[in-house]
Amino acid sequence: MDAARILVADDDREIASAIEKLLIMEGYEVIKAYNGLEALDALVSSQVHLIILDIMMPKMDGLTTMMKVRDSKNIPIILLSAKSEDSDKILGLSMGADDYVTKPFNPQELVARVKSQLRRYLQLGDKDSVNSTTKLTVGGLCMDLEKAELTVDGEQVKLTAKEFKILEFLMRNAGNVFSAEQIYERVWQEQAFSVENTVMVHIRRIREKIEINPKEPKYLKVVWGIGYKIEKI
Amino acid sequence: MVIKLRRFSRSKITKFIAFSLTVVLITLTMVLSNYAINSRMNLESLFVKDYIKSDSFIYGKLSKSIHEINNHFINDTESIKPEPEYLYYITDGEITKHNASLEDILKQEEYLYKFKENVWDYGENTFKNVQNYVKEDTSLYLVFPKEYLEEQQQKWDMERDRLMPIAVSVIISLIVVILCVIYLMAVTGKIPEDNEVHLASYADRIYSDIQLGILLITLYFWLYGLYGFFGHYSNRDVLSMEQYYSIIMTGIISFVGSIVCGVIMLSLVRKLKARRLLKHSMIYAVLYAISRFIRSFFDDSRFEHFPLTKSLNRRQIIFTVASGGMVFLFLLFWAASESFIAGLIPVLIEGAIIFWYFHENNKTFDEINRGFQESLQEQMKSERMKVDLITNVSHDLKTPLTSIISYVDLLSKEELPESARDYVNILADKSGRLKNIVSDLFDLAKSTSGNLPLNMETLDLKKLIEQTLGDMEDEIERSDIRIKTSLTEAPVYIYSDGKKLYRVFQNIIGNAIKYSLSGTRVFIDMEYENNYINVIVKNTASYDMDFTAEEILQRFTRGDESRSTEGSGLGLSIAESFTWACGGRFKVEIDGDLFKVKIQFPVVGV
Repeated sequence: MDAARILVADDDREIASAIEKLLIMEGYEVIKAYNGLEALDALVSSQVHLIILDIMMPKMDGLTTMMKVRDSKNIPIILLSAKSEDSDKILGLSMGADDYVTKPFNPQELVARVKSQLRRYLQLGDKDSVNSTTKLTVGGLCMDLEKAELTVDGEQVKLTAKEFKILEFLMRNAGNVFSAEQIYERVWQEQAFSVENTVMVHIRRIREKIEINPKEPKYLKVVWGIGYKIEKI
Repeated sequence: MVIKLRRFSRSKITKFIAFSLTVVLITLTMVLSNYAINSRMNLESLFVKDYIKSDSFIYGKLSKSIHEINNHFINDTESIKPEPEYLYYITDGEITKHNASLEDILKQEEYLYKFKENVWDYGENTFKNVQNYVKEDTSLYLVFPKEYLEEQQQKWDMERDRLMPIAVSVIISLIVVILCVIYLMAVTGKIPEDNEVHLASYADRIYSDIQLGILLITLYFWLYGLYGFFGHYSNRDVLSMEQYYSIIMTGIISFVGSIVCGVIMLSLVRKLKARRLLKHSMIYAVLYAISRFIRSFFDDSRFEHFPLTKSLNRRQIIFTVASGGMVFLFLLFWAASESFIAGLIPVLIEGAIIFWYFHENNKTFDEINRGFQESLQEQMKSERMKVDLITNVSHDLKTPLTSIISYVDLLSKEELPESARDYVNILADKSGRLKNIVSDLFDLAKSTSGNLPLNMETLDLKKLIEQTLGDMEDEIERSDIRIKTSLTEAPVYIYSDGKKLYRVFQNIIGNAIKYSLSGTRVFIDMEYENNYINVIVKNTASYDMDFTAEEILQRFTRGDESRSTEGSGLGLSIAESFTWACGGRFKVEIDGDLFKVKIQFPVVGV
């Protein structure tokens, strides 16, 4: 298969070419655009597998561009923005973005996110439709209950038995918040007593294995002072 | 030419000469007049040439003589001088009195005054309109002998000769004085350079009415003095010492009086010209001050230097005191006069005071409202500007930082010599730290400016602390600090933003681990205080804490001043700011080596 082609749209030319170089090093083809309209033109002229889109751009901003792209294409879009509020992220994601990276970003993290999005889009795209009762899927997380295997964006991740059970419980009830006691009683099958720390440590370990940036988790989230949940994506 | 004339006429010297001339001439006039009067000079001699036609003769001699003779004849008194200057013959047919024979008298027929059958008959050289009468049916023959009259006429002419130069000089002086005064009035206040009226710096400072008072008093004393010193008569031909003294005194008081009056008159004229005569008077000043005082209660100028609330307070005091005064007056009037009208006056004034009080207070309230609205709008505007500023600066800082981090990363992937690789590593490290500082800075800016978006919900504070500790377990394990917790048994529900509160505890516990003395323990205690829950984090500092609790909370202050360790130095400030934003209280206490952070939240009853 040919190298995936990525469209990078950012009005700051240095940032655009830095991202270009990073991605070329990883073996991708890159097209650059410096505003929303150029990005849309580039999409027409060549086939693109992923878009990295800055939000604050002249002529047409990133969010508008994204909505136009979404009218015809289903390719992954990673939003790039200096706006770091939760509300900005939620807005971007709800409008159709697959990921949201805040400036200044860690280049390696961006590359990891690009890889992750492309893997899902290129390799798992067809398999998504295979809906089996033995499989649990949340976003890029895919849990095979028969084989007791977990893949994140197609890449296998090794979990301990307890970690697997916690994740399974949360994935089955994706979007719901559970307290440490509830999780402990389900997973350990014992009376919960002073278990917050135990559960939290497990959660953290799982996060380190499945999240690209454990400090800003995409799937496994702590609801502070209340409990834990898997985000429903 | 005109300018030259003006320069001359308005010059100080000309004015001074005119003024001096006026003063000297007035003095001279007074002195001469007094001299003439003291010398018993008869002014009539100036106007009547013939002695026998003068009042001095007609009333002073003729009428008097007829009266004397008549009295002598009727009452038989010795009213006639032993040797009168006239000859007379009076008879009613029975009695006859005379000092000369009828024949002698009739010899001088030209000078005869004859009264017969109630009609006067006159000689040729006589005054022909005598109004005096003698007893009925009496005949009077009266003659002033020719010698006597001629002698008198001579004296009369001499007197005129003495008086004439005095009279002429007095009249000329008066004309000159009047001209000088007119000139001085015309030019006073004017200077050669322009046409404006200039007020004098000293004389014109005195209020007009006081000047007028001085003028009147001076005039009074002057005239009173003149009255006193004029007319010291003497029968001798030469003047006595006393008369000389009175003449000199007349001169002195006239000199002083005319100077004082002249100065004041000119000052008044200047003020009149400058249209300041009435305004620059004490009465005007007093009335103006009173009217301004009263007006100041209505046009807000009375309290304009006070804050609005203070002016309300002052007005209240005035209202209360004035009202009390009016009640007192009312009672006083009532008791004293029992008159309805008198009692009405304080009531009316009180009405005016009440009107004033409410009217003015209303104005102040309006002003307060307006100010309040304005400040509210101003505040909203500045809030919006603050948010915009933070957003814009944030964007402007983050964009170049993104480039730096990206290119440092690209650089680290290049083939580099060993030393260059070290440099790149330092750049990567520092740019990463810069990223954290910028991020912290904007979190802090947002929360201190009150623009931190909050997601408030009811949560368990105990659980939150446990979760935070679990999250930080690796960090705690790596250090040689142990955490000793003393949390509540049951969940403690508070209403707050969990994610922000997590940052608060993460920062506090992170700081405690970082700056604790090796091998010591960090204590985290929870305890109730009425309806509040306190979380207290205590640790033993590894360094000398030579700062106060306030100083440590200042932005960019860090526990140890060397600033060698990582972090933005904003951790504690962010913790404090976030705690307050999330509805809690934050306090730092330093006691020797003990560093204590106390966080307090109201407990929600669940």
